Amino acid sequence: MEFTEEQIVRYSRHILLKDVGVEGQEKISNGKVLIVGAGGLGAPVAFYLAAAGVGTIGIIDGDTVDLSNLQRQIIHFTADMGKTKVLSAKEKIAQLNPDVKVNAYQDLFTSANAFELIKDYDFIIDGTDNFPVKFLINDACVLAGKPFSHGGILRFDGQTFTHTQGNVCYRCLFNSPPPPNAVPTCSQAGVLGAIAGMLGTIQAAEALKYLTGVGELLTNRLLSFNAKTMDFRTVHTRRSPRCPICGEHPTVTTLIDYEQAACDILSHKNNS
Amino acid sequence: MATTIKVNGQSQELAKPIPLSELLILNRIEQPDMVSIQLNGEFVYKEDYETLINDGDEVDFLYFMGGGNSITN
Amino acid sequence: MATFNLDITKEHCPMTFVKTKIELAKLQKGDILNVSLSAGEPLENVPRSATEQGFTVLSVAETGTKGIFNVEIQK
Repeated sequence: MEFTEEQIVRYSRHILLKDVGVEGQEKISNGKVLIVGAGGLGAPVAFYLAAAGVGTIGIIDGDTVDLSNLQRQIIHFTADMGKTKVLSAKEKIAQLNPDVKVNAYQDLFTSANAFELIKDYDFIIDGTDNFPVKFLINDACVLAGKPFSHGGILRFDGQTFTHTQGNVCYRCLFNSPPPPNAVPTCSQAGVLGAIAGMLGTIQAAEALKYLTGVGELLTNRLLSFNAKTMDFRTVHTRRSPRCPICGEHPTVTTLIDYEQAACDILSHKNNS
Repeated sequence: MATTIKVNGQSQELAKPIPLSELLILNRIEQPDMVSIQLNGEFVYKEDYETLINDGDEVDFLYFMGGGNSITN
Repeated sequence: MATFNLDITKEHCPMTFVKTKIELAKLQKGDILNVSLSAGEPLENVPRSATEQGFTVLSVAETGTKGIFNVEIQK
């Protein structure tokens, strides 16, 4: 791949790294990452992947920008209120780095479109805020053999791991989603905005590591942090033989659209 | 007899070995359905929550996150 | 084993080493790159960085032009 003079300067800080170099930048520039959710986590992921020059970034989100988003969804600005999130994100990415091709999907990620969406991407980012879609992303990626980064935040905490084929998946850790109203969702319990940045940038780093082959991915490890104490913990996990999707006797063989929490549906409806 | 275990990386003293179900109560896990448990690196399923926790055991509570969690740390 | 040349006398750090790396990436193992660079930061940084990143600096010598040096780097 031939880089222009401008690109050489733009990506110079990557090229300087022994572990990346121009070969690594080529891999990034040829890379394709799908970000599910253009919100708290999706925003910093999109920014850092665009800055890095990831060749193709797909973003899927059905929402429009709401005032309450602006505290943490930093790719959306005050003037973007009422705009679809994917359009808002696409515009900022274009301004940050015109090298990046953005595929904006103004849609929900469902069992109907999941496989079709992920098939053309090298790596998938879970930037969602609800369990049903987290399980859907897991299931689609496990069944299709795609690697992905799981991410979740709440209050002052964050949690992430990376799945690659044969390694721990979300269902190994959590069999199935909690009942819709069993736990408070983000919008009820609150989150410190910067936590989204803390977790999202880890996910972006994992995507770049995957594309370049550098370092060790967060596979078979659940990284969690508590920002109040700034304690970071890594729990070693293993693929579970009893996992309903990747275990010895799988019971989940097709994609499922679990029921959303009622308050989540309401808050999403109010946004549009 | 004194039983020292680790819960989420932190040391905890118990008067004696207790079942996992009691450890949940001791750690004020109000919604055990919202937590996955690893004992010494292996998942423990609900039907095995009467497993006794012994001296030197390491327990990890994994919480649902990114959706919600009513358990305070 | 081929020899190539690179003139980075007009570049400022860290673009000096960036350009050097890009040229080195095109070479086969064992090939040599003769890098012309200026005294000062480039001379301080390029040979050292090349060594740090696993290349072999065979020689550093001032050329006929004062303040311009030639660094011979082997991949």
